[in-house]
Amino acid sequence: MINLVVKNLNKRFGGLHVLKDVTFEVNGPELIGLIGPNGAGKTTLTNILDGAIKPNSGTVYLNGERTDQLAPYEVARVGLGRTFQVTRSFRRMTVLENLYVPALALEHHQTKAEMHDKAMSVLEFLTMAHLRNEYAQALSGGQQKLLELVRLLMLDPGVVILDEPFAGVHPKLMEIIYRYIERVNSDGKAIIIISHQMDSIFSLSRRLLVLNYGDLIADGPPDEVRRDPTVIEAYLGTDQDEAEPGEHGAH
Amino acid sequence: MTRSRIPQAAGLALVLIFAVFPFVYARADYPFIMHILITGFFYAILASSWSMLAGYAGQFSFGHLGFMGIGAYTAALFSHYFYLSPVPTNICTEYPFGDLYLIIVNPIGVTSSTLSQDCLREALTIWNGSVQITPMPVWLGIILGTVMGGVFGLLIGLLVLPLRAAYLALFTLGFSEILRAAISAEIEITRGQAGIELPYLFDSGITLFGRHFDKTDKLPPYFVMLFLLLLCLAIMTWLAKSKFGMFVRALREDQDAAAALGVNTTRYKVLVFVVTSMMAAAAGAVMAHYIRIITPNNLMILQMSLVVAMAVIGGVENVIAAAIGAIVIEFALELLRNSFEIGPFTLDMTVWRFVVFGVLLMLALRFARNGLIAPLIEYFTRGHVAKETVAIRTATPEGTEGPS
Repeated sequence: MINLVVKNLNKRFGGLHVLKDVTFEVNGPELIGLIGPNGAGKTTLTNILDGAIKPNSGTVYLNGERTDQLAPYEVARVGLGRTFQVTRSFRRMTVLENLYVPALALEHHQTKAEMHDKAMSVLEFLTMAHLRNEYAQALSGGQQKLLELVRLLMLDPGVVILDEPFAGVHPKLMEIIYRYIERVNSDGKAIIIISHQMDSIFSLSRRLLVLNYGDLIADGPPDEVRRDPTVIEAYLGTDQDEAEPGEHGAH
Repeated sequence: MTRSRIPQAAGLALVLIFAVFPFVYARADYPFIMHILITGFFYAILASSWSMLAGYAGQFSFGHLGFMGIGAYTAALFSHYFYLSPVPTNICTEYPFGDLYLIIVNPIGVTSSTLSQDCLREALTIWNGSVQITPMPVWLGIILGTVMGGVFGLLIGLLVLPLRAAYLALFTLGFSEILRAAISAEIEITRGQAGIELPYLFDSGITLFGRHFDKTDKLPPYFVMLFLLLLCLAIMTWLAKSKFGMFVRALREDQDAAAALGVNTTRYKVLVFVVTSMMAAAAGAVMAHYIRIITPNNLMILQMSLVVAMAVIGGVENVIAAAIGAIVIEFALELLRNSFEIGPFTLDMTVWRFVVFGVLLMLALRFARNGLIAPLIEYFTRGHVAKETVAIRTATPEGTEGPS
């Protein structure tokens, strides 16, 4: 059973208090949307969850193991995988090699044939099998985004954080990413999606977390959050706001 | 034979050619050609190990000649200062070592032996030939040099952990230059710019293939250096194909993404420094025993530039291509020494060859990012990929083809 416990997380960069006592829990295969305006602390929170930066105070426990002081590779091995806002495929490695990296890093002592079969099955799921021996740099931007998602399947983490998976994505590719999220979630993994695409995030998520300048201002089902006056004021805006450009950036 | 096997077959043929060459080549310039080949093998080890560090792992270090120097100077200092004697000298620092005494000669710097002698020479004068001292085995010095290269590789690898790109390059350049300056300054121990002499690789000669070779013969060092090159290439090829190779390439591409996927980036970044530094140090130690002197000038940045250029022109992302590039360039540089005339002009190639070489380097950097040899290897090993991609895509059932 997946259990991610984030308690009283604080992070400061100089005079900026980027995360203020952020507390939430993820239990089981939840599908969570994490939203907030630019500078709200979403990426900082992700970086703390994956071990890339350390909090000033507070704790993170993943499946009973404290992870806030671990290195990113250790957090990955405990069971948290993430993608990045800007796609970060291993460009001068083949698609298959991109997939072998997390599989080998896990040190599960699987044979090369087993690893290859698993890689091929996830590639086929995302309709990328024909690209297996191409260098990642030869792929289109959308295909590189898919590759990043496929790599996560090889890592097989319990908690998956997807940072802007729909940004700059063609509608057809969006469908594939939707399918991916649903399958990964139905496989029993918890998913946290960070996105500014409100339609996607509201239709996919079953729970929403809203960050605003370091404060977790809402945590609940999408319908409730949509009506929350604090969230409307801080992020979502009103129909009138949308008619007046230059206000809060999310639509 | 499939097309992808052609580079392997060509590589094997090349090894065979190098193996029989000393026995079939009989022209008057035999010692000169053998010397160029030994030097070429030496540079091939440096260029290929640097390509593993910079091309595979993306660690653009300019300290590689520093590690080479550490290997060479460790071997030199070991053979210069340590001896075994059946009786104590009572004037040197010495320790019982089994039935013998380990003698540590006192450093006297650069001085005429008529004015000042080290403690061991003084003892030998007193003994007047009645005592036989034993120098340290050359192979032990080479091993110590290799290990010392690894130790410094570990230290530098740990120190540069947070550094990337230009900062790493500048740091390692600083390390190499500081090392060179320290060796130059420490005249008492290293003899500074005068350099330190070493014994022959085989001081008493060696019998090979039923024939005795004198200590000055080129054939034994030729095979030692060739063996070391093949050993380094075999280790690096194996590493490149193992998870080590996969991880260091991921490190090169994106350190943060690799870490987020479970790769212990610290471990592999340090490991690649240790492995490649050991190779450079081993090459330096063997080369120092072959040319029998090592000076701080051997560590100069110009030498490092030569190694970088060899790797870049051969193909920095392929250790074999970098090694072949080094041998070809070393050969070309030596053979281009001859001056030639174009009409009334005489082109002095002893100077102009570096210009030709520099232009070649610039052209390679501009037009062949992975060198001139690596793409050729890739043409054979990966030539099938494009066809395969199209064939599989065409065979994919309608409606499930990949996104574009």
